[in-house]
Amino acid sequence: MKRFFRRLGKNIVDLWTNFINFFKVANLNVKASMCLMGAGQFMYRQIGRGILYLGIEILGILFFSIYGFQWLVGLITLGTVEADPWTGLEGDNSVIFMLLGLMSLVLLILFIALYILNVRDVYNTSKLVLRGEKPKTFKQDLKDLLDKKFYKTVLFLPILGTIIFSLLPIVFMILIAFTNYGEPYIPPVLVDWIGLENFIKVFSIGDIGPTFFKILGWNILWAIATTLLNYVLGLLLAILLNKKIVKGKFFWRLFPILAYAIPGFITLTAFKFMFSQGGPINFYIEQAGGSALPFLTKDGTWWARLIGLLINAWLTVPSVMLLATGILSNINNDLYEAAKIDGAGAFRQFKDITLPFVVFATTPTLITSFIGNFNNFGVFYFLRSDVTSNGYFVSNDTDLLINWLYRLSIDNKYYSIGAAISLIIFIITSAISLIIYIKSPAYKKEDTFR
Amino acid sequence: MRSFSNSKTMNRKVKKVLVAIAIYCILIVICGVFFFPCLWLILSSFSSTGSLYDIEGFFPSSFSFDAFIKLFTDTSQYNYPMWLLNTLIIAICNCILSTLLIIGTAYAISYFQFKARKSLMKGALVLSMFPSFMGMTVIYILMTQFNFVNNIWGLILIYSCTAPLGYLVQKGFFDTIPQSIYEAAKIDGATNARIFTTITLPLAKPIIVYTALTSFAWPWSDFILPKLLLINKDNWTVAVGLMQLQQNEFARFAAGSVFIAIPIVILYFFLVKYMVNGMTSGAVKG
Repeated sequence: MKRFFRRLGKNIVDLWTNFINFFKVANLNVKASMCLMGAGQFMYRQIGRGILYLGIEILGILFFSIYGFQWLVGLITLGTVEADPWTGLEGDNSVIFMLLGLMSLVLLILFIALYILNVRDVYNTSKLVLRGEKPKTFKQDLKDLLDKKFYKTVLFLPILGTIIFSLLPIVFMILIAFTNYGEPYIPPVLVDWIGLENFIKVFSIGDIGPTFFKILGWNILWAIATTLLNYVLGLLLAILLNKKIVKGKFFWRLFPILAYAIPGFITLTAFKFMFSQGGPINFYIEQAGGSALPFLTKDGTWWARLIGLLINAWLTVPSVMLLATGILSNINNDLYEAAKIDGAGAFRQFKDITLPFVVFATTPTLITSFIGNFNNFGVFYFLRSDVTSNGYFVSNDTDLLINWLYRLSIDNKYYSIGAAISLIIFIITSAISLIIYIKSPAYKKEDTFR
Repeated sequence: MRSFSNSKTMNRKVKKVLVAIAIYCILIVICGVFFFPCLWLILSSFSSTGSLYDIEGFFPSSFSFDAFIKLFTDTSQYNYPMWLLNTLIIAICNCILSTLLIIGTAYAISYFQFKARKSLMKGALVLSMFPSFMGMTVIYILMTQFNFVNNIWGLILIYSCTAPLGYLVQKGFFDTIPQSIYEAAKIDGATNARIFTTITLPLAKPIIVYTALTSFAWPWSDFILPKLLLINKDNWTVAVGLMQLQQNEFARFAAGSVFIAIPIVILYFFLVKYMVNGMTSGAVKG
């Protein structure tokens, strides 16, 4: 932490001195570009670049004077004119205001970045010229895009796509967490900024707070239990199949891979049918003279939790097994030979060679699988999404936070609370993975097994 | 015979046989556990009675092809051929677009050492830490605001644009191509674009095939996003459609599932080696 701040301080000082130096060195052309984008490039006779930058500036100014500024104001107010069905007044749509505002904010940042880039570009050219080289022509620029700067060409679309479909939605959701968007504040009703109120609601008494803590408790228990269970079972299966005594390894491995390959929604729906009230298992129980067990119904809290755990094991143990098999084949056989000579038994070998190695190699995947399980939407969505429990706010006693999130925002339109909860999930999962990662042997002694 | 007279070796041999029997018993039980639900589904898809309640127990008493025939002919309420077609379109488009974007990303991040590289990788890591639901909810809200739901092209766009975030496996592959392969081409003055198309891409064929097949298979099993975005029955994918089938349509569900699961399972058997490689490379490099 201390180092971080020291580095930050140093960076700021560096930046400042660079800035001062920059002014001392900057020539007329650079200063021209600082006033008008592209001017410096024109003065170096880089017509292509100059037109591009000038065009960007003109477009930018046009955009911001006509729409952009208005949209930014809209982001702050979220609309002021309430719709009135009596007079037919259409009113402002807060969600669209938010989206447009966010977009123009991004464009503003982009514009500023391009402005800086433009100055930096002329500055670099001026350095080139000082060294006695010629400024790059536009043709060379285009050629570079296929050679030295080829990565820019290749990465352009992926980055654009990621920004639009991953980054912006997440930023949008973070913004929603600080508004009252959601029943009954849904356009055409105006939405407002309400600060931290959603988070306060989640952590206080009322409907939502207690449900949150109950679900969080079960969610943590579930994540730990299911990750450990899958890990141990998968590891044991891999070790079992790795034994010399087992013939026809390929044949035996087919079955877990089969389970791994079938799309999850099929197996989950099938298991739901299997354990349903009129399903085959209850049929046999009734045949044997018992009464149907409430596996997945409202009263079946612990039954449903146990079944969820086992079904998730059925679904994920194969992938752990495959992973562990790959890792086991990487262990240096000399280690075992040496251990045998030293008189170590099978258990000792397992404890002192196999286990540390596998744990070392799988810690990162353990983290991802822990987070995957923490946010395991599928299992309880399929098994019990039609059940609502008493004492839970639009939720039931097997729901994980992610299931609750779905019910809140998709089924019941509590968007802002949902957004706040997804932010909390993000904070929890990233904190956990950070802690596990730092404490893990893979991080502490990186070179042990290399 | 002399060795057998030694009771110690005898004991050891018996012990070994017993261990072998025990191991094989455990293996048979495990494989049974994995195979049983699949067997149940397959047999149910051939049951002559459609509902889960009529089958009575796990296995149907009489068999027929009714469920499969109904699946493809009785389309008034559940239009399975239409779902197949929709999913096929989505899968093919997603396969092409995602593969292009993922391979490009992985190659650029692996091959070039540019300034923003580290921050891009960190950014991707942070983005992938957010619950994927967050983005989906927003996309759902916006799509409903703009009346853009029920559009499979929107779905394709979202699938392929979010795909590059999962570039790590492919980057791991590109990392293993030694730089020395490129040196000769560089000396000859070939541009990076040329090197990419003539040297890197042919070398990367296995990982391209892997990426293409996994992105082709994904729309067949994903259910959350299509369920949110495709409300109209005619636009459903197989996953969304099959999810609507209730217990009384159990045989139809089983038949529909078996029909799409078989190609996917075959695909996985071919891919499993690559997948393990991908998983381990992800494990070591983080």
